[in-house]
Amino acid sequence: MQEIEAQISGLKTSVTRQNVGTVREIGDGVARIEGLSDAMLNEMLDFGNGVVGLALNLEETEVGAIILGEYTGVKQGQEVRTTGKLLQVPVGMALLGRVVNALGQPVDGKGPINTTSFYPVEKIAPGIIKRQPVSQPVQTGIMAVDAMIPIGRGQRELIIGDRSTGKTTIGIDTIISQARLNRAAEQAKDSSYRPLYCIYVAVGQKQSNVARVMAVLEEAGAMPYTIIVDASASDSATNQYLAPFAGCAMGEWFMDNKMDALIIYDDLSKHAVAYRQVSLVLKRPSGREAYPGDVFYLHSRLLERSARVSEKYGGGSLTGLPIIETQAGDVSAYIPTNVISITDGQIYLETDLFYQGVRPAISVGLSVSRVGSAAQIKAMKQVAGRVKLELAQFRELAAFAQFGSDLDAKTQGQLERGKRIVEVFKQPQYNPAPVEVQAAALWTVQNGMMDDVAVDKIKDFQGKLTEYLTSRKSALMDKIRREKALSDGLIAELKAAVGEFKQTYK
Amino acid sequence: MFRSCIVNNALDGNRARQAVRLVIQDRPRGYMGVLSHFQRLVRLEVARRAARIESATALTPRTREQIQSDLSRQYGPGLDFAFLENPALIGGARIQVGGDVYDGSVQGRLAALEESF
Repeated sequence: MQEIEAQISGLKTSVTRQNVGTVREIGDGVARIEGLSDAMLNEMLDFGNGVVGLALNLEETEVGAIILGEYTGVKQGQEVRTTGKLLQVPVGMALLGRVVNALGQPVDGKGPINTTSFYPVEKIAPGIIKRQPVSQPVQTGIMAVDAMIPIGRGQRELIIGDRSTGKTTIGIDTIISQARLNRAAEQAKDSSYRPLYCIYVAVGQKQSNVARVMAVLEEAGAMPYTIIVDASASDSATNQYLAPFAGCAMGEWFMDNKMDALIIYDDLSKHAVAYRQVSLVLKRPSGREAYPGDVFYLHSRLLERSARVSEKYGGGSLTGLPIIETQAGDVSAYIPTNVISITDGQIYLETDLFYQGVRPAISVGLSVSRVGSAAQIKAMKQVAGRVKLELAQFRELAAFAQFGSDLDAKTQGQLERGKRIVEVFKQPQYNPAPVEVQAAALWTVQNGMMDDVAVDKIKDFQGKLTEYLTSRKSALMDKIRREKALSDGLIAELKAAVGEFKQTYK
Repeated sequence: MFRSCIVNNALDGNRARQAVRLVIQDRPRGYMGVLSHFQRLVRLEVARRAARIESATALTPRTREQIQSDLSRQYGPGLDFAFLENPALIGGARIQVGGDVYDGSVQGRLAALEESF
């Protein structure tokens, strides 16, 4: 009763000016409206009955607007009003563990989201004064990534590859790894650890894929630290176009509130396709591959919003992991080249490697991280420094060695070591490894302590070694994690532990 | 063509008629498209200068004059006034000048209340 009274008393009784227009044409989720002389760009328009639109084209005599949500009820000649508000979505901690649509409305059936904060969907990225360099790591738990293509907080790292090469899996593994680290820090009451919250934006994905991702995250206990923004293939193109911006706004809230967040855009190829559809229906001129001229700006303004802000502004960060699907490995297509040039590096996944059983199928030669090495912890730097070079040499030698069998001992040694490194980097999906385990495994293979293990036994050896180190030598693992570097003392201890394990390994 | 028909920020009917006559006489290439676009611009301009005053009951001549002078002061001279009676408004009045609406009707306020719930 009190709520109703408050609503009635809060109602404005004075007559105010409203700007209206009439729908001239409606179709494919896009309306052309005559009138609306006061409409602003990106302003929300009220179509009545709870239907909301977004003004995207301001022309001489009419306004082109996209309709958010259900548009079949909108009719020609219908009155439309300006609202004076920009499109905004709910933000805050209350969104964690929830699945929302592109407008931030819950779609998981868990009731309303209790938050009073809202952020505009479109926002200018932080400027250079507000930023600071990337220096803190994002531990993805994927050994190949953490060792050779390290990602830092605030970085934008592209995950690119053909269909079904494990792009989404890298994102999901990263989320699971963050959840484990966050929970471990919570349980240990470690206030120095900055939790990393994750946002997974599904654009144009199959509903079954999104449901699978959700189930995996729930099973791994990662949902309490994750927001899923869902604009699946059955959603309108307008919602698919808006979803990454909505997810980004949710991530920016964490960044602005001195926290760290990670956002995965899965995937921006479908996002570009959705934007192309909206643009073509709005009759904007088309360019290469029928994409509109501002498709580069679409992605650059989105990804520029990922940043690490300086301590003066709270020191928060938003890390971006956009995903791009290539067609038959063609990275020189329009959208892939655009996003490659915007991001701070890429993880390139190859179909051939995937079917050879190298999973994650990361192509070491084509993958790069432009800023992440500054964020790598010292222990990883110590062990992973030479790995990339050794692997590259191995690939070259392996190709060469196919033509002849008489090889000198050094070359054979390099080949054998290379084979073992490739094996060590193989990792099952949804099974991220802690950084100290990664460092120990890499140290072991680098120092020739796996040279006497047969190549087909490497995974078994590595698994049992990990088990041995985490259960029997947990103190040593704790030390590596705390010190973040392999001192001489720790190396001696590690050497002894691995030696001890090898005596028992059969 | 349309701009040449605008005099003192308002459409000059005589000029518009003359322009259409000239185009039909000369029949330049694509003249039908030109004329239909011109017609649309004229329609929108007429709608922009149309003042539609709806009230639940008939307004007194004095009130009408008052409204006319107030609107002319705000939007400039040359408005095309239309006074209508609309009992569905229940009470009060609703004034629309081009795309601007001032809704002081009971119906409008009830609709706003409904939306707020």
